[in-house]
Amino acid sequence: MSQKNYQIDQDQLVAELKAKKPEAMSYLYDNYSGAIFGAILRIVGEESIAEEVLQDAFMKFWNKIDQYDSSKGRFFTWMINISRNLSIDRLRSKELKKAGKTDDIRDYVTGITDSNSSDQQTDAIGVKELMKDLRDEEKFILEMVYFKGYSQSEIAKEFNIPLGTVKTRLRMALKNMRKVLKLE
Amino acid sequence: MNIEEYISSGILESYVLNELPLAERLEVEQMADVHAEVREEIEKIEASIEALAFRSSVQPPASIKETILQKIEGKNTPVINIDRKESAVSALKYAAAASILLALASGIAAFNYFTKWKSAEGRLADLVAQNQQFADNYNKVNQQLDNIQEAVGIMNNAAYTRVVMEGTDNSPNSLATIYWNQNTQDVFLSIQNLKELSQDQQYQLWAIIDGKPVDAGVFDPDNSTFLVQMKSIRSGAAAFAVTIEPRGGSENPSLETMQVLGNT
Repeated sequence: MSQKNYQIDQDQLVAELKAKKPEAMSYLYDNYSGAIFGAILRIVGEESIAEEVLQDAFMKFWNKIDQYDSSKGRFFTWMINISRNLSIDRLRSKELKKAGKTDDIRDYVTGITDSNSSDQQTDAIGVKELMKDLRDEEKFILEMVYFKGYSQSEIAKEFNIPLGTVKTRLRMALKNMRKVLKLE
Repeated sequence: MNIEEYISSGILESYVLNELPLAERLEVEQMADVHAEVREEIEKIEASIEALAFRSSVQPPASIKETILQKIEGKNTPVINIDRKESAVSALKYAAAASILLALASGIAAFNYFTKWKSAEGRLADLVAQNQQFADNYNKVNQQLDNIQEAVGIMNNAAYTRVVMEGTDNSPNSLATIYWNQNTQDVFLSIQNLKELSQDQQYQLWAIIDGKPVDAGVFDPDNSTFLVQMKSIRSGAAAFAVTIEPRGGSENPSLETMQVLGNT
């Protein structure tokens, strides 16, 4: 399925989820669980915990779908933010946060992309490739935010980088990635 | 506000990542409503994050899907257990009792939600008003900053002749300054100290050219603007003076009311 079809499908999918159709949930799972699970796994680190969080996340999508407002943004953004929050809550509650975050980030980024190239997205470009044009400091912020679930203010505090700098680096990272993603 | 600066501050990324406090979130949503480029930028950021997530997919175990579907289907189809041996009358009784209960329960729920909705609406209105006030204040401060910048530019510009007008015997403490560009003929007035006037009076600035007073415009003793642009005065003015005149100004100055005077 191409990226474009997703967008058309997202609206329809949301409508059917709001109508509480189980088939919509099945479709949602088939098409989005990989992307969501990847994001959760990279934050919580442990597969068994990630599976629990994934279940919680999908139940939350189902139960809270009426709170999703398409005028405030894409459906995927809504889902990924719920998933990130659940992952971070789980980390905090289990006090795994420190242990998880001290692992070498590179293991996750490269390891996961190299061993899982057969996902829904058959595109051969992996995360590593996506990030190849980023400067090191941009890559670092993106990895901390996206792959480890840090908030920007946490990064600022923990690594002693001014918050404004964190924000502009994240912005440049996402912006530079657009070229590889062919979004502009 | 400069939209490019707003976008490049990274606030939109924080918005998409849901890291903003409510007030700032509302601000971003307002900006997105007003400025198409903000809306487009948000969409691009969302698309990047979505694409990144798909590029880094990890397939979860298939068993999870089954668990989730069982959970939601269990929730969706309530178990109905009707005892068919019961008489029609008692079934009716149950139905009547159930419908009364249902009516009661939904009445309470409706009231409950209505109250919650009302209070949420009130809070939202407060926030919107607060937000509006922030925006107004911001604009006011911004405007003032623009005024100051413009004033500083003029005061520092060597093309402007600075004429200090000191208080006359009528009002020894009064003080005002003229910045006059003889090339462009622009005249700016800066008020240091002028007394309040009654509603039907106004100050009037005069340039003295070849011994004759030339009207340079009326003004109110308002300290909120740093420099007030007056009427243009061609080169040749030997002095500037301010008199008190009836609101709207006079053709000829009432010299006996002169407040300040300065030679160029």
